[in-house]
Amino acid sequence: MRYTDIRRHAGLFGEYTELRVQENRSARISVLNGDIVGNASGSQSGVSARAFKDGVWGFASSPESDDTAIGACIGRATANARFLASVEGHGSSVLPSRPGSSVRDLSTAKPRLSRKDLIDFVRDLDAYINNRYPHLVSRSVSLSQLDMEKSALTADGSDAYSLIPRSLVAISLTVDAKGEPIDLYDVFGGRGHFEDNFGEPSLLYPAIDALAERLSHKAGGVYARPGTRDVILDPDLAGILAHEAIGHTVEADLVLGGSVAADYMNKTVASPLITLVDFANTAMGATCPVPVWTDDEGIEARDAVLIDQGVLRSYMHNKETAARFGVEPTGNARAFGFYDEPLVRMRNTAILPGVSKLTDMIASVDDGYYFLRSSNGQADSTSEFMFGVVMGYEIKGGKLGSAVHDCTISGVAFDMLKTVTMVSDDMSWTAAGMCGKKQSIPVGMGGPAVKCRINVGGRA
Amino acid sequence: MSIDIDGMDIVRRTLVALEAAGADKAAASFSRGEQSELNVDAGRMSLYRTTVNVSLGLTAHVETRKGSISLNKYDDESIRVAAIEAVSMARSSEPDPANDISPARPLESFSAGPELPDDAAMYSRLKEFVGYAAERYPDTRLEQCILDFGQGRSYYANSNGAEFTERSGSYSFSAMFTTKDGTKASSFNYSGASHRNLDTALKDWASVDALMKQSTEQTSVGSIEGNFSGDVIITPDCLGDFISFIDGVYISDYSLITGTSPWKDKLGTPVTSPLFTLRSQPNGPGIEVGYSYTGDGFRAENCPIIEAGILRNFTLGLYGSNKTGKPRCPSGGGAPVVDAGDTPFQDMVKSVKRGLLLARFSGGSPSDNGDFSGVAKNSYLIENGTIVRPVGETMIAGNIGKLFREIRAVSRERVDYGSAVFPWVLAGGVSISGK
Repeated sequence: MRYTDIRRHAGLFGEYTELRVQENRSARISVLNGDIVGNASGSQSGVSARAFKDGVWGFASSPESDDTAIGACIGRATANARFLASVEGHGSSVLPSRPGSSVRDLSTAKPRLSRKDLIDFVRDLDAYINNRYPHLVSRSVSLSQLDMEKSALTADGSDAYSLIPRSLVAISLTVDAKGEPIDLYDVFGGRGHFEDNFGEPSLLYPAIDALAERLSHKAGGVYARPGTRDVILDPDLAGILAHEAIGHTVEADLVLGGSVAADYMNKTVASPLITLVDFANTAMGATCPVPVWTDDEGIEARDAVLIDQGVLRSYMHNKETAARFGVEPTGNARAFGFYDEPLVRMRNTAILPGVSKLTDMIASVDDGYYFLRSSNGQADSTSEFMFGVVMGYEIKGGKLGSAVHDCTISGVAFDMLKTVTMVSDDMSWTAAGMCGKKQSIPVGMGGPAVKCRINVGGRA
Repeated sequence: MSIDIDGMDIVRRTLVALEAAGADKAAASFSRGEQSELNVDAGRMSLYRTTVNVSLGLTAHVETRKGSISLNKYDDESIRVAAIEAVSMARSSEPDPANDISPARPLESFSAGPELPDDAAMYSRLKEFVGYAAERYPDTRLEQCILDFGQGRSYYANSNGAEFTERSGSYSFSAMFTTKDGTKASSFNYSGASHRNLDTALKDWASVDALMKQSTEQTSVGSIEGNFSGDVIITPDCLGDFISFIDGVYISDYSLITGTSPWKDKLGTPVTSPLFTLRSQPNGPGIEVGYSYTGDGFRAENCPIIEAGILRNFTLGLYGSNKTGKPRCPSGGGAPVVDAGDTPFQDMVKSVKRGLLLARFSGGSPSDNGDFSGVAKNSYLIENGTIVRPVGETMIAGNIGKLFREIRAVSRERVDYGSAVFPWVLAGGVSISGK
């Protein structure tokens, strides 16, 4: 429920201050081999305040959000900032300002389903899998929902509200292949309540069939050969490439912390085919998976064009890093829970589409791989990234060959991106990502298929 | 924000509300945590953060159906509404005889660590560390360091009559850093630990100082030549990841319930090298910051997981145990301690013909069959018994089970993380590849 009249607390601000009243609501239903192993819901609500003085911050939070608790929270955050400033103050108390005042409620307009309805949905999918693929050694179906509802006020005049829901269905299948378990999963859904993202369970049956078919390929697969190879990254991997390989490296706080991107501004870091944008809320006319209209420092959020036709043009900023770099903030300050301080975080990071066709891209590879699905990934200050690949195929003579077992691919982003020779003309978003950086938070990732040379970690 | 909260009264009242709502069996937990935290970002002390939070957990069983709710409110009306909802969720679920709660046990109370942070000492220790790093490693940037004091009180009760309370206070420190030499940068690295006091300088916590020193050597790295099957010496900082892979792939609830664990029938039989012993010691003595009871309402008892290579315990919880018919883990599976071996670290290095000192593993999640692959970060090439140089863009691949079967030595030396203790481990048969 929206917290109204947050402005009445502005009189308590003693320094530059941000006040946020927030509730995160979650739900999870998990079915494992037909048994409901998870049937839970949760809520975390409260208030936080953050104050800035002489280049340092004070933060305080409380699970209570009545006037007394809010006043105490603001007072403690101010005291924390003043204490730290008294011993460590090292800068100006002035921060850039571009106050946002958005009000966005992306709740469904449809009647909400009951817990029983949701359990029946998950069990329907499980029953379909069990009936259709009885040879599987295990199967799991889980449904998760997260609503993040924030009311925020800042001393420079921002007063914003958002309720951003996300709902996901994850399906994992495992088959026995010559005595060894081989698994594959997929995730469906994204921004929006369950009622807006999913209809009848049967609408997911074709996706389950496709997952099962790929699993059968993988069960008969081979190990990837190690070394640097020509590869085609499907859009799902291009999204994590955008996020891990480049995105983290150009978060301005990490640039200040030692990222090599500090030395590359306005230099060529990628093929001219690569344009990379961290979208605030709208991309190509559609609302992004994780839209941010006003960030958690009260900045009106704008797109950050990170790489424009191969040239590094911008970092992602909060107020403080923007001040230190002497640029406009981009609106990338985000916090997960009420008890978290905003950090520089990605929102919807994507490589823009090119002009090639995926079929032509595959046909152009004589000896390499087509990688379709990723698991986890990690970035580095050197721009060396890695991500796990859980589905892929060999390419031999321009044609798809055997599937490959799970492997890891890696590269130095600002080298590897220069090897990109083809970018497909389509694009898809991954809306299920959670990014870990002190706090874990939902992110959107997207892109087209990309042809490049990349290090494959396989079996010698 | 009063701290005069009777948590035991809250969980008992919650049980009453759950039973009034129709639960046949019920469990309730309540915790209240306070955190005081100092942050260093990009080499500067930047944030002083103090937080308070509470959490109330309700689990309702209706016959063998189960539903759970958590919230951070504990007034009477919130408890009443949550109890009704938890029971409703349970009724919406399906029967499963494996759902249960722990047996009766008279109230036990545990307390460890300070009740309040020593704010002055926290600031002083962090200031000292920032100064030390700047003077000793001037090219190394502290990306982020966090020193926090956490104090939590937790309470558990269930309708069988099991009751616990615990209070725990401890300091945690983590340091993440990278070294820059002109336009060259090392991979970031990090370490940290948890302790009950601030008696020791932060640079001496876990492997912080050693890794910062190594970071200064890692701004110029090269890939290795070709591909080969070789040895790896897994450092204590890296071993924790591989221990968690063992847990996830072979001995925890998910892999045993699904039946995909390759070790599902291996209890009491050899699964690793006889040189390897892994214990779970939430009560110490090797663990300084442990825990007293498990999440499913049992007193946490120390136990071996793998003893001289023999699998002694899975890490199953109550549900997983009931579901699989295999024994529940008495410890809850946390607070890992790997026994020291009898090989000095330097002798381990001397015994390697060609391989890696694997200091950090950045890789994909292992497959259900234990296969893993990833990048060897902050690592060194070893040739003919000598650490030759740091490596970059070097990948490794193998199988977790096979890796632990092929352990050839465990070091005498260990690193204490407060909540875990690990040595260096030497194993062979890992696929190592360059560009």
